[in-house]
Amino acid sequence: MSWQTLYSACKRINPLWLTGPIFEKELVVSSRRRRNYVLRFAYVALLSFLVLMVWIPNISMSSSLAYQTARMSVAGLWIVTTICFYQFIMTQFTAVIMLSTAISDEIYHKTLGLLMTTPITSFQIVMGKLLSKLLQMLLLIGISFPLLVILRVFGGVPWSYILSSFCITITASLFAGALTLYFSIRGRYAYAVILKSIFTLAMLYLFIPMIMIFLMVLITQSTGPSSAMKLMYVISLFNPFFQMYGATVSLFMGRIFGTFGAALSPWTWHCLTLLGLTILLVARSVTIVRRVARSQAVGEFEIGSRRRIKKKKHEAVLKPEEGRYFSDSEIKPVKGSPIVWKELRVPFIRGGRRSSKIALGFSLAALFLCYLLNHITDALDSEATHFGYALVFVLLGLITNIVLSATTITGEKESGSWPILLTTPLDNWQIIIGKAIGVFRRCLPIWLFLAGHLILFTLVKYIHPIAIFQMVLVVAGSMFFLGCSGLYFSSLMKRTTSAVVANLGFVAFLWFVMPIFLSFMMQITRSTPEWMNAYLSANPAVQTGVVMIACSGSGNAGSSVLNLQYRWPLEGSENFIRATIIIFVVAVCYTVFGLLMLYRARVRLRRNIF
Amino acid sequence: MIQTKGLSKRYGSLEALVDLNLEISRGEIFGFIGPNGAGKTTTMRILSTLLEPTKGQAFIDGLDVRKEGHKVRRTIGYMPDFMGVYDDLKVFEYLEFFAAAFGIESKKRKSIVEGVLELTDLQGKRAETVDSLSRGMQQRLGLARVLLHDPKVLILDEPASGLDPRARIEIRELLRELRRMGKTIMISSHILSELEEICDHVGIIENGRLIFSGSMEQIRIQLGLGNKVKVRVTGNQEMAIELLKGLSEIQEVKALDDHIAVTFYPDKPGDGIIARTLVNGGIDIISLEPVRVKLDEAFLHLTKGIVH
Repeated sequence: MSWQTLYSACKRINPLWLTGPIFEKELVVSSRRRRNYVLRFAYVALLSFLVLMVWIPNISMSSSLAYQTARMSVAGLWIVTTICFYQFIMTQFTAVIMLSTAISDEIYHKTLGLLMTTPITSFQIVMGKLLSKLLQMLLLIGISFPLLVILRVFGGVPWSYILSSFCITITASLFAGALTLYFSIRGRYAYAVILKSIFTLAMLYLFIPMIMIFLMVLITQSTGPSSAMKLMYVISLFNPFFQMYGATVSLFMGRIFGTFGAALSPWTWHCLTLLGLTILLVARSVTIVRRVARSQAVGEFEIGSRRRIKKKKHEAVLKPEEGRYFSDSEIKPVKGSPIVWKELRVPFIRGGRRSSKIALGFSLAALFLCYLLNHITDALDSEATHFGYALVFVLLGLITNIVLSATTITGEKESGSWPILLTTPLDNWQIIIGKAIGVFRRCLPIWLFLAGHLILFTLVKYIHPIAIFQMVLVVAGSMFFLGCSGLYFSSLMKRTTSAVVANLGFVAFLWFVMPIFLSFMMQITRSTPEWMNAYLSANPAVQTGVVMIACSGSGNAGSSVLNLQYRWPLEGSENFIRATIIIFVVAVCYTVFGLLMLYRARVRLRRNIF
Repeated sequence: MIQTKGLSKRYGSLEALVDLNLEISRGEIFGFIGPNGAGKTTTMRILSTLLEPTKGQAFIDGLDVRKEGHKVRRTIGYMPDFMGVYDDLKVFEYLEFFAAAFGIESKKRKSIVEGVLELTDLQGKRAETVDSLSRGMQQRLGLARVLLHDPKVLILDEPASGLDPRARIEIRELLRELRRMGKTIMISSHILSELEEICDHVGIIENGRLIFSGSMEQIRIQLGLGNKVKVRVTGNQEMAIELLKGLSEIQEVKALDDHIAVTFYPDKPGDGIIARTLVNGGIDIISLEPVRVKLDEAFLHLTKGIVH
């Protein structure tokens, strides 16, 4: 009796009960996916590159051995913090990517309803998905762990730092993963879930703290530092970036930044808070998964679609005696190019006009709040402020462009409407150009924010009017280039997510990885060839910075065009004419490269259809 | 109207289509049948300019599908096996979009769209979003779409799949109506009994090879299946069987539950001989009913490799 009872008790407390067979299935499937091996390889390669980048400037190879030995502990400290920060960022990013299709794949392949007909519970489905991915993330962290231990032994880095950063990283990754899993229940495309998760995390970790910091400045001015400290404590309770930053600052110069450290909540409380939030998200996901699965089982739910609700609305306005719906007025006649017309029928935000209006209202309110806080803190007259705004708008616009252009053809391939379109007499150019115009028109709302900002602050004399012309050149060239590259990848690939990832990766390589690599090379070779200058100057973020810093602030805004000084990162100052020529030439180059990619997209249009 | 010469398609090491020679005349309904993965859809995709053949040629109305794809697309109406829809378009908009894509003038579009909606009985759904339609309705919409530009040739890949019995009958009637309008129709389906009723000719394909192409009569001859007749008599059935067995035109006589199944030799039609023989033999006939060779029967024979 006793053995049997013990056995059944052991069986009940088996941790696999948490996840059921989903956990095992996920591990088996992931071991067969090539992308997981690519991910691990990329993780290790990037980590090695970063460690090298930190190592070389710290240990100057040309200096004496004694100096190098003396620098070892400093280098060890930097390498440990680099690895910890790298793990912190990368595991969150990986969690978002890995869990972006966690539930949506099950819904898309119509297996969620089937799972619900088995004894597996929705809790086990959610936990199985989450924990199996967490295990893979732990494996990634495990890759760099031996290096950390060696550095700990030789480098004088306290265990407390390694332990705290490890716990902060794990809880932050869990939270990011749970959030992505939650979004993946209602999202059809992985890229959309990824973007939604990153946007939400950016709002939580960046935008809201930024607003709170502005408030803190105001509080400090009125009530003194104690209230501000309390606010800081609250922010750090929810924000892993603050915790990591605090821990790292304390590691390097604890006494100097002691006040900052004291203002933060203990990392244990922070981890518990994030774990609590993760549990709430998981609980919510469990409830929704069950509902979605039930709907799918009875054939009501189509992922990414709200047609069920719409259909009911339609039924409500049906007049049977007339045999037709009242909503005839909603039918829009086709005007001009059918492709452009169709592209513009796709709403910018899924969910219809109401969602678009809410999103627009929310964005405008957030922008107004930022302007107000900038005004209160006298930051509107600063070049850095306008550079920041312009950069955010440019990045948002380019990301939208990257995503929309890469989804425009693959979306049709996935829905099965692509072959039908290709059997019409529309030729390849008509389709490609129609798609390109559609993408540019759909991106316009984002660019209107940038235009609005520039015009508004030109009118109130904080930005020189010439910035509008130069920013049009900067944006037009890069927007055209990215739109065409997106169309190329979209014609090349079959899956929307692959096309979006390829286009994002292409841009990240061109404008992010390569500049870092070149900077690294310049540090090693201690030379700055002309072509490297030219390459870095072609970066739209750099160009935005150069233009906005040269033209912003009441001083610059009021001065003559000929007095404006454009400071390129690796060169001296340029006057207005030379700067405009550089921007114009870069825009022309982007346009030419864009046209080449557009041509390749046209050539590939009728391949890889099925 | 449709002609292929040595048409082949290879996907890596897989031969999806091997030396396909096909000829479909104007105004004909041609049924294209074969097991899953036989090469039906590949053939239809090549004819619709969506796939490039590895070898061989295909012509539609004298136009080379490889070289004159643009003109071919104006001539054909292609309905794929899986009909993709645009999420955010309404039924009327969807059809108007394709009407515009086919270059129909904006003045004429509305009346043409109304016409095909009426033909396919979709008027009541004109303001509904396309993806909210049921599978059957989407199939009808697909058919409405291929009719927009009044094509000479219709290539329909499994148009009846997912339809309820009533909708199938309606589609069948619609196809007959289209034949009367002079359209050439190439249609694939797994529901062989339906094809049998509407097709003038059939093509049977297996493992990428066309194993038969012709009329039902030609199938009967090729399979060595003679005409069959069901005979019901009153009185002495055994005597009737004996009388019939003595005829040189008759290959086989079998007594079944309530009738006698008579099979003629393929090359001997034997018109009226049964009635004459039985009446002369003093046997009263209740009924004489010719039995046609069923397409599914022929399909099973052919795809089992009997012809090979």
